Amino acid sequence: MKVLELLFEYRTYYLTGMKITLLLSFGGLVAGATLGSIISLLKLSKFKPLSVIASIYIEIVRGTPMMVQIAMVYFGSYVLTGINMDGFMAALIAVSLNSAAYVAEIIRSGIQSIDKGQTEASQSLGLTKGQTMRHIILPQAVKNILPALGNEFVTLIKETSVASTIGVADLMYASKIVQSSSFQPFSPLIIVAVTYFFFTFTLSQLVGVFERRMAHND
Amino acid sequence: MIKIVNLNKYFGNKHVLKDINLEIEDGEVIGVIGPSGSGKSTLIRCINNLEEASSGSIYINGKDISKLGKEINHVRQKIGMVFQHFHLFPHKTVLENITLAPVLTGKLSKVEAEKKAIELLKTMGLLDKKDEYPNSLSGGQKQRIAIARSLAMDPEIILFDEVTSALDPEMVGEVLNVMKDLAKTGITMVVVTHEMAFAKQVADRVIFMADGEIIEENKAVDLFENPQNPRTIEFLSKVLEY
Repeated sequence: MKVLELLFEYRTYYLTGMKITLLLSFGGLVAGATLGSIISLLKLSKFKPLSVIASIYIEIVRGTPMMVQIAMVYFGSYVLTGINMDGFMAALIAVSLNSAAYVAEIIRSGIQSIDKGQTEASQSLGLTKGQTMRHIILPQAVKNILPALGNEFVTLIKETSVASTIGVADLMYASKIVQSSSFQPFSPLIIVAVTYFFFTFTLSQLVGVFERRMAHND
Repeated sequence: MIKIVNLNKYFGNKHVLKDINLEIEDGEVIGVIGPSGSGKSTLIRCINNLEEASSGSIYINGKDISKLGKEINHVRQKIGMVFQHFHLFPHKTVLENITLAPVLTGKLSKVEAEKKAIELLKTMGLLDKKDEYPNSLSGGQKQRIAIARSLAMDPEIILFDEVTSALDPEMVGEVLNVMKDLAKTGITMVVVTHEMAFAKQVADRVIFMADGEIIEENKAVDLFENPQNPRTIEFLSKVLEY
């Protein structure tokens, strides 16, 4: 019962932590998905410079650790622009930029997984590229995109824990504080682990419901 | 009228269409035959610009479609195409597959398009399938729906790209019968096919292609019964052997 006592005693830390983690996750999810959609369109663009820029962005983000990215946004924003960004803002930007790269790849591969014949059939009927994308390609691509996107969102929730390294008071940060003030190294970790799991499990169940609903259309 | 002038097409270094010249009158039914890889499919895919010509011109009713840009969509609305692998839209019902293009292009209202689709399905004998999804249909049924889908746009020309090649043998007949009826309506048809008997019976004119060139063209009966070029003779002797 030590764990529950600990949770009750330090509840304010944990509650703030949960709030910050959820805000970071949700903000990162919305911004990352929006930005990622745009980047995927850039990458699919027939105009070479745009697709090259998108590729470079994606490769750099995927090839460097999240912890480095978050520190670079936090310290870089001051060094490069003189703006003194608070930790939460820096973390939110870093998480969004990171997630956008993965989302972009998921959407791109989802769109490209649709048989070229679908595009040809649609264009042979005289539909425009935009109509083809909206009515033929995207509705089919969504079924491939959604499961992968669900995984990405789960990853994103977990990755927000890196924000604690620049002093953002998220869940992970709360557990560090509780560890040092209660002199208990392990129990506080159980609490955060269970909380993170609760968040990710709920999300993957929600995505599962969506997927099953989509599958009905087949 | 379709007029093809000095059409060349390259895929990388591969020269797949070599200086093709061809005229097709309104209402003509053209059969295109020849060995695999001879450029038959590429040729008809150039007619609606699914493949861009590397050089040369393709005139549809006097307009060069290789230089149209975005306006190509309007031309394509008048040129139907039926594919070897159907390419029905799997996320749409049979009825939606047929009504989608007329409604989106603003050609028909939703009600008109549905009325037209139901008529088309009736002539195809597939009215009972109107609310099903393509996955639940047989190959022959899918191909007839695909034909109905392109007919819903009231095309002046319809291109058939080996439309029976992916079908089980017992389903070939039902698709060919639909095409035979269609040929009588006066629509212009360009039919790439391996069904020699069909080409001979239904086409007004048959074109034999090999290695990206038109080797011989003639009235259907003449080309099959009295071929002139040695390569035509060799090809026909092989495919008509059994």
